Amino acid sequence: MDAIANLLGGFATALRPEYLLFAAVGVTLGTFVGVLPGIGPALTVALLLPLTYTLDPIAAFIMFAGIYYGGMYGGSTTSILLNTPGESASVVTALEGFKMAMRGRGGAALATAAVGSFVAGTVSTLAITFLAPLIATVAISFQPADYFALMVLAFASVTALVGRSLLRGMISLFLGLFIGLIGIDRVSGQARFTYGIPQLLDGLDIVVVAVGLFAVGEALYVASRSRHDSQEIVPVEGSVWMTRDELRRSWKPWLRGAAIGFPLGALPAGGAEIPTFLSYSLEKRLSKHREEFGKGAIEGVAGPEAANNAAFSGVLVPLLTLGIPTSATAAILLAAFQIYNLQPGPLLFQNSPDLVWALIASLYIGNVMLLLLNLPLVRIWVKLLEIPRPLLYSSILVFATLGVYSVSNSLIDVLVMYVIGVIGFVMRRYDFPVGPTILGVILGPLMEKQLRDAVAINQGSLSVFVTRPLSLTLLLIAVVALVVPYAPGILRRLRGERGGERLVFGSGSED
Amino acid sequence: MTEDERAIGDPGPQPRPAGGRGSLLGPRLFAIGLLAFGLFVLLDALRIGRGTGFRPIGPGFVPTIVAIGLVVLAIALLVRTTVRPDIDLADYAAEQAASTSWPTVGLAAGVLAGYALLLAPLGYILATTILIPVAARVLGSRQTIRDAIVGLAMSVAVWLVFTRFLGVRLPAGLLEPFL
Repeated sequence: MDAIANLLGGFATALRPEYLLFAAVGVTLGTFVGVLPGIGPALTVALLLPLTYTLDPIAAFIMFAGIYYGGMYGGSTTSILLNTPGESASVVTALEGFKMAMRGRGGAALATAAVGSFVAGTVSTLAITFLAPLIATVAISFQPADYFALMVLAFASVTALVGRSLLRGMISLFLGLFIGLIGIDRVSGQARFTYGIPQLLDGLDIVVVAVGLFAVGEALYVASRSRHDSQEIVPVEGSVWMTRDELRRSWKPWLRGAAIGFPLGALPAGGAEIPTFLSYSLEKRLSKHREEFGKGAIEGVAGPEAANNAAFSGVLVPLLTLGIPTSATAAILLAAFQIYNLQPGPLLFQNSPDLVWALIASLYIGNVMLLLLNLPLVRIWVKLLEIPRPLLYSSILVFATLGVYSVSNSLIDVLVMYVIGVIGFVMRRYDFPVGPTILGVILGPLMEKQLRDAVAINQGSLSVFVTRPLSLTLLLIAVVALVVPYAPGILRRLRGERGGERLVFGSGSED
Repeated sequence: MTEDERAIGDPGPQPRPAGGRGSLLGPRLFAIGLLAFGLFVLLDALRIGRGTGFRPIGPGFVPTIVAIGLVVLAIALLVRTTVRPDIDLADYAAEQAASTSWPTVGLAAGVLAGYALLLAPLGYILATTILIPVAARVLGSRQTIRDAIVGLAMSVAVWLVFTRFLGVRLPAGLLEPFL
């Protein structure tokens, strides 16, 4: 098996002391920001991007992967003890986890979340190891028209399935597409939407946009509600481990969660929210303790946490093999690849095998590190929740400004970032998801390029999207993805009953 | 017939405290702003070059589509906030309106603008040492002395780490002679 030989080569790289150090820094930082409410892995990677220009790409990506995974482990701690999910994929965990903590079983909830994340993370990293090279091989035959259709599908599913309103998701996406268009058109050399401002000719840096939307937007939002929200942390009583009975009730949900999470994450279908909700309802249906659901059932923590972790790993498959991100964090990772002049996609496995396999190997290593970091040390992380909120958000603003300033030592960037932060605040206030904006900024320009290439190859005709079966199929699936959430309501109307709500999966503010 | 239509014909005060159409004022303003913005973008997009026969997709093609999308979506949002109100959004907006302290948001934005303007003349350390306690106070902290100490420690630490080890140039400002 090639994959095994490649993976061993990856381990040989990733186990070198300096890379182990970067992995450790990554998972620690990731857990740190995962635990802190209001900031997530997308923001952290964006903030660190300017600082990693000098690192070699392998070190940078091992660190980013650690942040990505760590953010997820840390997020469960916040959901369980504070009932404020740090990221939308942890919303479900809070349902049962917080109830468990209230009953004094917080330790068990944290343990099943951490071990479940470890099991699911390892299972899905195994799946990546064997699946990703296969998809990369298939994807070599993909043409620009297919990539264009895939990106449309990614947009459709992310905006339709994440967040409470398709309309608001679409608005968020189109704002992102607009921001992505600012600057000089690379094909014609024509300036677009620059309004005579020379600083805009290079376009808006993704760091400026992401940090503005996530950090400043969130800080202003918290400021607006600071006199209103108050939160209490539930202390962790007893040991952070499960009883024999709890372990027995946990292991099947872990595996089922991984089985649901990975494929759904790997499809260009939008992040980790949906699998967590699916896992939750599946566990509720299968459980022998259904009466405990809503009061703190351990299956309701074990399954969704595993699904969450598996889906996050799954997202790496389209990112690495097709160059298509399906979540805000993945979009930022794609931007990181672009900074290093690497184009994720089928050729990445041929052109940069060292990087890819070291990255995959580091996922195994990171999972082990995170298990150690989160089970015995969880009490230390809990202390982070005691940082006074005003001080925490002031510091976030300081680091946001610092991160943006260090992109190009420009105060104009900082001001633009604050303005985008105000937009982010307004979006949060009226329940617009922010993720699609980030996706639009990053994917928009790529999509335009594929569209132009596809039409150029086809002698200037748009018909290729109808005549090429693969492209057409993908575009049709995109239409289905937009309609599916409304299907139950439409069906009910057809039967002459009152129209119902659309399906809602998650609040999807930040993944 | 449905909840929405009843609300339109109802002239009296809304019986429900949360939700109702009044609370959609914010989203409605947002929709109008978005519509204006979309039209502005559309006008601009139409001025960007057209495609030619050889290259049908010119630099203006995608901008025009995005602009049309913005306009259409803004109109759709306007409809959802007026003619066919989105009850969920109304409830959400009402809950938000009840819990939003506008002075705090304005102050926070003002503090940020001040920070950006003072960063160069005062220098990173001084500006940040001031920002932390002021921003924390705006966000509801009452322990200003503690916040000031944290601010000083953080700004000095950031300065040292970023300028000495990470190679980021930060403005020295007034402290230039001492650093």
